[in-house]
Amino acid sequence: MKLLSKYTLVSLSVSLIIFVIGGIIYFKTISYLSDQQLDRDLTEEFAEKVGFIDQHQRFPKPFEFDTYEAKFQGIGQSSEATRSTDTIVSTNSGEKTIPCRAIIGTVRFHGTNYRMIITASTETTQSVLKLVSTITLALIILLFMTLLIVNRIVFERIWQPFYQLLRHLKDFSLTGEPKPITVNPTKIKEFVELNEAIVHMEERAKDEYQSLKFFTENASHEMMTPVALINSKLDNLIQDETLNSAQLEQLNDIYSASRRLSHLNQSLLLLVKIDNGLIHDVSELDLSKCIKQKVAQFEDVMLEKNIKINLNLLPKTIKASKYLIDILISNLLSNAIRHNYTGGETAIFLDESMLSIENTGNEQLLDTRRIFERFEKSPSSEGTGLGLTIARNICLTYGFKLEYQFTPPFHRFFVLF
Amino acid sequence: MRKDAGIIIISARNALDDRLTALNLGADDYLVKPFHLAELKARIMAIYRRRNFKGENLLNYDQITVDLDMMDVRIDGRSLSLTRKEFEMLLYFIANKNKVVSHNALVDHLWRDESVWGESFDFLYTHIKNLRKKLLEATGKDYFSSVYGIGYKFN
Repeated sequence: MKLLSKYTLVSLSVSLIIFVIGGIIYFKTISYLSDQQLDRDLTEEFAEKVGFIDQHQRFPKPFEFDTYEAKFQGIGQSSEATRSTDTIVSTNSGEKTIPCRAIIGTVRFHGTNYRMIITASTETTQSVLKLVSTITLALIILLFMTLLIVNRIVFERIWQPFYQLLRHLKDFSLTGEPKPITVNPTKIKEFVELNEAIVHMEERAKDEYQSLKFFTENASHEMMTPVALINSKLDNLIQDETLNSAQLEQLNDIYSASRRLSHLNQSLLLLVKIDNGLIHDVSELDLSKCIKQKVAQFEDVMLEKNIKINLNLLPKTIKASKYLIDILISNLLSNAIRHNYTGGETAIFLDESMLSIENTGNEQLLDTRRIFERFEKSPSSEGTGLGLTIARNICLTYGFKLEYQFTPPFHRFFVLF
Repeated sequence: MRKDAGIIIISARNALDDRLTALNLGADDYLVKPFHLAELKARIMAIYRRRNFKGENLLNYDQITVDLDMMDVRIDGRSLSLTRKEFEMLLYFIANKNKVVSHNALVDHLWRDESVWGESFDFLYTHIKNLRKKLLEATGKDYFSSVYGIGYKFN
């Protein structure tokens, strides 16, 4: 719901409630006051009539009292306390009923009690009430229309800076060129503050992004340089022809360790880059083409392990970084080969909704909750333990889902687009 | 700096952007840390050849002649058919002749993109074995000597 609609709805309902309450109070007050006045008159009239009866020892004739008509009913020896009440009286012709106020009391005459009822029409009050109600209703409608129009005009004018800021925020990109905020000058304190806060926040986000980028670049430099040094010293060292086999074996171990170290570094830095969105060379990719390229690169290794591969690739294009998608396919495919047995099978399936890579291997379900965690790997694995974490985080970056299933004999990793 | 000097930039940054920037600035090659000396040597040789190549782009070693334009290997004038990996491997070994080239360096050179493999180099041995056999049959010489557990020397 838009802010304007919400605001209008709330203000309209509040005014409606207030008007209804106000109307009721008006109505009650006017009724009460007019009843009060009538009751006073009727009480006076009652007293006069009682006095008249006492004095003249007869009931008054209608014309003897100017306004109010009295009726008498014999009620024997019982007696009623004097009370005022609302009542309805039929006109003489009986066609119409008139709302009235009445006073009912007892008068003693010739040893018998009579109930005396004096009524007064409240028609005037009723018409006043009707008029008040009509005016109130008209006011409500007028107010509603004014609110609707004023809200719309004032709202659009007052909130304009807000919508401009909103547009600006939507266009904001960490990596893009900084765009100046184009907001009409406003005197509203909140918007001025919001504007300042956004400028400040954008600057800080950009600074943090830059420092993170520098950090990963520096970290990569600082970590890779010593590894490069170890490698070149080893390359030199093995040229020495006097080395014996035991020494060479140790050097080989150092080679392996430095190789692993460099892979670990690269993988960790890659994770930092993925997690912080530092890779954004997004382009349109033909996924089946990417997969075919990767399969061709892995041909040697599959041939060596005599692994059969089935490809079932339907056309599918995605918008992503080629670099990351290559890593994703590479990680999944290399797992499918590495954890396969000699003479095993691998199958890749691709369609509009998913990519699945499955392989034969150890007949044991992997721990589905933990395989995607960092450094989670089988004791026999030679990998860094980061491959699946990287794959999952690449998928998360693009809103894909990476899942694992074991349907014997196939371990199956699938990416849901 | 001499005008005709070759430039190789060695950096720890492996992003595509960084490579392109370096190459656009006039570098001849871009090598990412960590690297092997054998790799550096092969790259230097390649630049040297490119800068000094006159007419035919040929590389000679003993009886072996490699035509780099045609991707063709000839032994005493007879053509020898090699797979792509074997061809690349031969070039690498010739660039590093008389030096011990480690398995690590070979794998990094030939399978750079997918070197996600642990310490198992089984697939490498097959390629070396095949190249060795082909050269042995064509020349009658075994150019390779294996250095215990660590690599090969080409001489």
